[in-house]
Amino acid sequence: MEWYKDYPHIGYDLEVSLLVFITFSVRSQDIRNTVGNIPMEWYKDYPHIGYDLEGKKIFKPIRNKDELDEFLDKMENPDYWRTVQDKMTGADIRLSDEQVDLVHRLQQGKFGDVNFNEYEPAIDFFSNEVMIHPVTNRPQDKRSFIPSLIEKEKVGKLVHAIKMGWIKPRRPKETTPQYYDLWAKEDPNSILGRHKMHVPAPKMKLPGHEESYNPPPEYLLSEEERLAWEQQDPEYRKLSFLPQKFACLRAVPAYSRFIHERFERCLDLYLCPRQRKMRVNVNPEDLIPKLPKPKDLQPFPTTQSLVYRGHSSLVRSISVSPSGQWLVSGSDDCTVRFWEVSTARCLKTVEVGGAVKGVAWNPNPSICLVAVSYDDTVVLLNPGLGDRLVCTATDQLISSYEEPEEVMDQSVQWAVAEGEGHEQGHRLILKHPKTVRQVTWHGKGDYLACVMPDNGSSLQVVIHQVSKRRTQNPFRKNKGLVQCVSFHPIRPYFFVATQRYVRVYNLIKQELTKKLMANCKWISSMAIHPGGDNVICGSYDCRLAWFDLDLSTKPYKVLRHHKKALRSVAYHRHYPLFASGSDDGSVIVCHGMVYNDLLQNPLIVPVKVLKGHTITHDLGVLDVTFHPTQPWVFSSGADGTVRLFT
Amino acid sequence: MSQVQARFFTENKKYLIDDVPFSIPAASEVADLSGVINKLLEAKNGQDLQDFLKVIFQKLCGIYYLETWDKTEVVEIEYVEKFTAPQPEECIMHDDWISSVEADSEWILTGSYDKTARIWSMEGKAVMTVAGHTDVVKDVAWVKRSFSHSLLLTASLDQTIMLWEWNSERNKVEARHCCRGHAGSVDTVAVDPTRTKFCSGSWDKMLKIWSAVPTVEEDEIEEPNRPRKKQKTEQMGLTRTPLMTFSGHNEAVSSVLWMDAEELCSASWDHTIRLWDAETGEQKSTLTGSKVFNSISYSPLCRRLASGSTDRHVRLWDPRSKDGSLVLLSLTSHNGWVTAVRWSPSHEHQLVSGSLDNVVKLWDTRSCKAPLYDLAAHEDKILCVDWTENGLILSGGADNKLYTYRYSTCVSDAGA
Repeated sequence: MEWYKDYPHIGYDLEVSLLVFITFSVRSQDIRNTVGNIPMEWYKDYPHIGYDLEGKKIFKPIRNKDELDEFLDKMENPDYWRTVQDKMTGADIRLSDEQVDLVHRLQQGKFGDVNFNEYEPAIDFFSNEVMIHPVTNRPQDKRSFIPSLIEKEKVGKLVHAIKMGWIKPRRPKETTPQYYDLWAKEDPNSILGRHKMHVPAPKMKLPGHEESYNPPPEYLLSEEERLAWEQQDPEYRKLSFLPQKFACLRAVPAYSRFIHERFERCLDLYLCPRQRKMRVNVNPEDLIPKLPKPKDLQPFPTTQSLVYRGHSSLVRSISVSPSGQWLVSGSDDCTVRFWEVSTARCLKTVEVGGAVKGVAWNPNPSICLVAVSYDDTVVLLNPGLGDRLVCTATDQLISSYEEPEEVMDQSVQWAVAEGEGHEQGHRLILKHPKTVRQVTWHGKGDYLACVMPDNGSSLQVVIHQVSKRRTQNPFRKNKGLVQCVSFHPIRPYFFVATQRYVRVYNLIKQELTKKLMANCKWISSMAIHPGGDNVICGSYDCRLAWFDLDLSTKPYKVLRHHKKALRSVAYHRHYPLFASGSDDGSVIVCHGMVYNDLLQNPLIVPVKVLKGHTITHDLGVLDVTFHPTQPWVFSSGADGTVRLFT
Repeated sequence: MSQVQARFFTENKKYLIDDVPFSIPAASEVADLSGVINKLLEAKNGQDLQDFLKVIFQKLCGIYYLETWDKTEVVEIEYVEKFTAPQPEECIMHDDWISSVEADSEWILTGSYDKTARIWSMEGKAVMTVAGHTDVVKDVAWVKRSFSHSLLLTASLDQTIMLWEWNSERNKVEARHCCRGHAGSVDTVAVDPTRTKFCSGSWDKMLKIWSAVPTVEEDEIEEPNRPRKKQKTEQMGLTRTPLMTFSGHNEAVSSVLWMDAEELCSASWDHTIRLWDAETGEQKSTLTGSKVFNSISYSPLCRRLASGSTDRHVRLWDPRSKDGSLVLLSLTSHNGWVTAVRWSPSHEHQLVSGSLDNVVKLWDTRSCKAPLYDLAAHEDKILCVDWTENGLILSGGADNKLYTYRYSTCVSDAGA
C-alpha cells in the first residue's frame, strides 16, 4: 500500500481492485495492452484484443470452453472460485492467497494494508484555548467591527415597509387552544341523512293458523271456496296454497312450492327499494291561485228571469237601447223584433228582406236609430220607442240632410226609405257590394262600421257617416279575413279582428299601432272594455283571450271554460263583468276587474255558468249582451229565444 | 210515540184557552193541533166551533226539530183563526196583456197592452172601454167615485197621463185632461188621500205631481218653438202640466204611492226606495236594496212597506226607521221576479204578491216560511194584483186574463 502513499485515495472497490491486479499481473508477464481504458466490446468481433508495446496485435487466447466445460471446470477445479478472466488479455488468472485476502478485506470495507491503524489518536493544531503564541498572527479584519451597510439598508427597507403598512407586524397568537367543531353545521333535531334513508328489507309474513298441518276447521276451505281459489288468478289469490289437514306431523309431505317460495323471497329482498325517493310534498290545492269567492263578487247574473219568445228561427244578434228599456233582436226569420225588457213583451215587429245578421242600437241617447244588416243591405230603423221628442228629432235629422253639390262616387248606395218601409220605421237603406256580417256604432253615434268578410278583398270594412251620408273605406288592403271590428270607446282607435290577429289602428294618424296575437285558430268575436285598455276575444276553438293592451300583445289570460266554439263576448258598461256565449248552449259570466293602478293586473274570476238555451242544429248561444245599467245579461240562441239572466 | 209538552197561546181574546201545557204527540200535524184546540174551545165555551178551523203557527218551530228536542222543554205554539181559501169568482178575458188593475167596491178598472183601459162590473161584464192613448197603458187609478160621475187616470207608454171623466149613467167617458211633461213611458200613478192630486213616476227618472181636479182651462205649455199642430189633432182633452217635479232617482221609477197626504214614496230601478215630502219636494230618506224594485205597497195598519223586486223575495221594510234601511222580513217562495205586491186593506198581517212564475201568493207575515195560499190560475206572467176593501183579490197578467177571488174577511171581525 505504499504505492498509495502519494495518492489521495487508498484503494478501490472490488471491480477496480481486480483490474488493478490484472494490470499488475500483466506487467509481471510484460504483456501490456495499449488500447487504454476503452470498452473491450469494441474488439469483440476481432481476433485480437489490442496491441502491445511494440504495436503488435495481442491475439485473444483460444477459448473453446463451452457451457459443459465451464460446468466441469466449476465442479472439478478447486481453484475455480479464485480464477478471474483478464478482460484486457482474455487470459484466466488464478489469484494468489494474498490477493484473495486483500479482496476480502476490501469487500469488508477495511483498509488494504493490514498494518494501518485508522483509529490513531488525533492531535489538534487549533484549540479553543487562547495560546500565548497564536498559530497565526494576522490582525482582525475591519469589517468584523464595523456595522454592515448592506444590513443597514435591508433593515431600513423593512422599517419603511412597516411604517407604510406594507408589512403587517405579526399578530399576537391566540393562547386559547382551538378545536374544529365537527358537528357545527348539523341540526341537532334533524335525522341524519343515512338514518333517514334507511329502508329495512321487507319482512316475511309469519306463518299463521292456515299454515298449520292441523289448522282449525274455519281455516280449511270449503268445496266452493276451493273452486273459487282454483279459478282465481294466482296473482290475486289471498293464500298462495291450500290449507290442508293432516292427521299427524309425520304425515305431512314435502312442501312442493318450497323452492318457488324461497326464490320469490330472494326476489323480494333483491328487488326491494334500497333508497327512499324524495318527493316534494305539495298540497295540490296550494297550487291553485287564490281567487276570491264568487259569492263576494256580487252582483252578477245568476238565474234566468225572462224568456223573450216570438222568433221562429235562430236569433243571430241582439242589442239593448242605451236607456235599458228596450231590446232589439234580429233573426233568421227575416224579422227584427223590439221588446220591452222588464216584461218580455214584443212591442214591435219589423220585417226586412232577408235573414238578419246583425243589429246594433245607436249608443247615443239623443238619437233613436237601430242599424240592421241583412244580406248586402244595412237598414237604419227608427223604432219609435222611448222619448217621442228624441224619435221625432231623429227623423228630422235624417230628413234635414241636403245633397252636397259634388256627388262622390261611393261603393255604397244610400237611399231614403219610402212608402210602406217608412211606415214600418225604415229610414235609410245602404246597399253594399257584398254581404254584411256585422254592424257596429261608434260611441258618439254618428259613425257606423260594417264588415263584409271576403278573403283577400280590399273592401272588407267600410265606415259610414250617417249625418253626411258618406262612406269611407279606411283600408287600402286587408290582410286576411276580417271577422269583426269595433271602435275604441274613448280614443280614435279602430280594432279589426282577422282570423288570428287583432289589429289596432289609429284613425287620426292612419297607422297601425298594435297587432295582438290571439294564439287561437279563428277569432269569432271581440269586445272592448269600456275603459279602453282591455280587449277580450272569443274564438271558435273554445278559447277566450283577455288582452291587456298596456301589458303585451299576447293574451294576458286565456280561459278555456266552454266546451264548444264561442260565438259572442261582451263587457258590461259599469259592472266589472264580462260574458261569453258558446255553441254548448251556456253563457259564462266572469268577474273581470280592471284597476286604475297600472301595476295591478286585472282580476279575472269565472263566477257563473248560465244555462237555458236548447241546442238546435249544433248551435247554442249566438249573441250575448249586457243591460246598460243593471247586472243583467241577455243571450240569444239558435232555439229562437232571447233570455234574460239576472 | 214520543210526546211533546206544548203550550198554546193566542192574541185573540175570543179564543183564549187555559194557559196549561198539554202533552201532544210529536208527529202532530196542523190539522191535529186544530182539532185539539177546537175540542178545548168546545169544552170551554160549550158551543160548536166546527166552522172555526184554526191555523197554527209555530213560534219556535219546535215540532220540526224533534230529533234533538229536549223533552223537558215546553213548545210554545201560537194559534190564530184559519181563513177559508180564496174562492175564484170571475175570469175576465181581455184582448191583450193586462198591465194594471184597480178595483173599488163596484167597478174594476184595468189597463191593457192594447192601448185601452177598461171598466168592468164585479160580475165580469165589460162596461166601458177607455181608448185614447197611442201606446200601451201601463197604469190606471181611480181618482173619485161618485154615483154617476167618476174620475179615473190612465198612464201610458206614450209619455202621457190622461184624466177621464166617466158618466156611469149615460155610460160615456170623456177625456178631460192630457198630462204632458214626462220624457219617458209613465209606469206608475198614485192618487193622494185627499183625491185632489196625483203623482206619476216615469222611465225618465222623474216623479211629477199633478192636479187631479178637472178644469176647463188649458195649462200653458212652455214650448213655443215646437210645432203643436200635429199633436193638437191627435190629442184628446186639455193639456195639463205638472205642479211639481221631483228628481233624485238615478234610474227609472217603477212604483209610487202616497204614505199620507204629505208624504210620497217611490221605488226605482236604481235599487232604492225614496221618501219625499210632497209639499216641498224634499227627499226625506232612502231605503237601499240590492235589486231593482218592481212594486211597492204600504199598509197603514201595520206601517210597513212591502216591496217586490227582480228576485224571488217579497221584502218588508219599516219606512220610519232612520238607522239604516234594514229589511225586516223577506218572504221567499216565488220562483221568479215579484212583479206586484199589495197589502190587505183590512188585515194588518196579510198581503198578496204576484210573480213571473205565474202564481199569486197570499202571505201572512207571521208565517214567513210559507205562504198561506198559492193561487195558481194564471198561465203566464202576472203583472198586477189588487185587493179591495170588500175582500176581493184581483190579478192580471200576460195570459190576457183577469182573475178575481173572493177572500172571506175574518169571521172574527164579522162577529165582533
